[in-house]
Amino acid sequence: MKRTINYTGRKRISRERISISFSRQNGSVVSFSLSRLDLSGLDLPSNALISVEAYYRTELKRIQLGQADSFHQILSTDLTDMGYPENLKFRIIVVDPSTKKILAYADRIAPEEPSGRKSILPVEFRDLGNRIWMITYEGDEGSPVLCINNRIPDIQNIAKRDSQFFMQVYPCAIREILTYMVFVEGVESVRDPSVDWNRDWLEFTKSMGIQPPLSLTPDDNQQFDKDEVFKWIDNVVEAFCNRYSQIFEKFVSKMEENR
Amino acid sequence: MSIVRIIMPEGESKFIEYITALRKVPSATCPDLNIEPYSKEFSPYIEVERDISFNSKMELAEYINGKFDKAGVRREEIIGKSGLWTWFAYLWFDSLTCFDSRAGNRSIREEAKYICSSDYRDYYRHLVAGPYYIYSLHGSGLSKIFLYSPIHEHNDFIEQIASRQFLISHQNLIEALFRLYWDNKKVRPRSGAQSRNRAGTLRRFVKVIQQLELTYDVYSLSSEEIIRLLPDEFNEWKEC
Repeated sequence: MKRTINYTGRKRISRERISISFSRQNGSVVSFSLSRLDLSGLDLPSNALISVEAYYRTELKRIQLGQADSFHQILSTDLTDMGYPENLKFRIIVVDPSTKKILAYADRIAPEEPSGRKSILPVEFRDLGNRIWMITYEGDEGSPVLCINNRIPDIQNIAKRDSQFFMQVYPCAIREILTYMVFVEGVESVRDPSVDWNRDWLEFTKSMGIQPPLSLTPDDNQQFDKDEVFKWIDNVVEAFCNRYSQIFEKFVSKMEENR
Repeated sequence: MSIVRIIMPEGESKFIEYITALRKVPSATCPDLNIEPYSKEFSPYIEVERDISFNSKMELAEYINGKFDKAGVRREEIIGKSGLWTWFAYLWFDSLTCFDSRAGNRSIREEAKYICSSDYRDYYRHLVAGPYYIYSLHGSGLSKIFLYSPIHEHNDFIEQIASRQFLISHQNLIEALFRLYWDNKKVRPRSGAQSRNRAGTLRRFVKVIQQLELTYDVYSLSSEEIIRLLPDEFNEWKEC
């Protein structure tokens, strides 16, 4: 179980109470909306002040929402003045106006995808020299980010729609991330990982119908089985490819057309 | 005058080779990186002076900011362009390495000071990107405490504050820092502010703020309120 110490008694606003989404123009993030923030049952004073912060790397922007009893939703807040808008995370802060103490808090909120799913692999376009893509572990708690070379013309469209790119990059990225997660970082508990991104990725593998081995901690001499882990990773990659068999078929057709 | 360019990966490799060579052979020849494929022209077209001397990081940041402002380029369009900042370091490499043409000596520091890292955690170390970034956030007033030093020197205010996103992006917090540690008469940080052994100095400020932010919404505190919350060890600095 993930253990935290809360000396200050501040309340945690769970993710389910918040709905944040991006608006895009020509594929680029231009603004965000906070369409839902449910603070009911948290027993917050009516005059508590609520604000939302958008942040990533060197960038930070705060928007005041008002008091707990009368705060307003944000329908469209401009993000074009921020660097790296694609990967912005959000935090909600509820503050006692007289003491300025934090009463309730939610952090590292990723905007909802249009489909309502949570993205576990943010994508960033940057100059990668002569490489097409790479995984960096620069997200929250060292979570993975898929970096794609922005020197390639029309790469944002290619990354989204091209079947060849999809089938060649994503299975390899999944393999690399799972290998890193287990063999470089180690996952202390398979049932209840302490690192959020480990948890998200394990959920993802389970959603593919593949159950993880008993141990993902290489130091665990009793239960860790290297071969079993490699097999598990392989099965996840295969299940992912099977799930997107239609994209594979498109890729094959494209190859046949080009012959 | 030089036309602003962006160093490409091929140029970055050449630049690194040159820096490495200089450590062994001070007379190593500087490669021409102002040609393709080593660099490409920045758009829009901007010209900057090559032979210009800056007395401080502030002058450097003001100069670059003025050039981009005039060309209508916004900070968010350039802040992550590491090749652009590497090119500036290439252009002004002699100044950034304190080149003494008579003695042929240079002071070469770690690579990240000249080659701008795409890793945001190292970004502030760059001798051109770092000052510009701080200036673009806090303008000519509060930035003084970071940008007072010569362009080739890295100071502890940059190292301790600019490396932490939460701290550097909070205007009131920087104002509190400025009020505590800036000496208006000497136009530089107060003597001892960067000391590691004295009470209430910069490093302790960072530690205490990190503790306060677990309880307080530091962002919404005014600089006065932040200073008031600091424990007694800061009294000496508060009083001036």
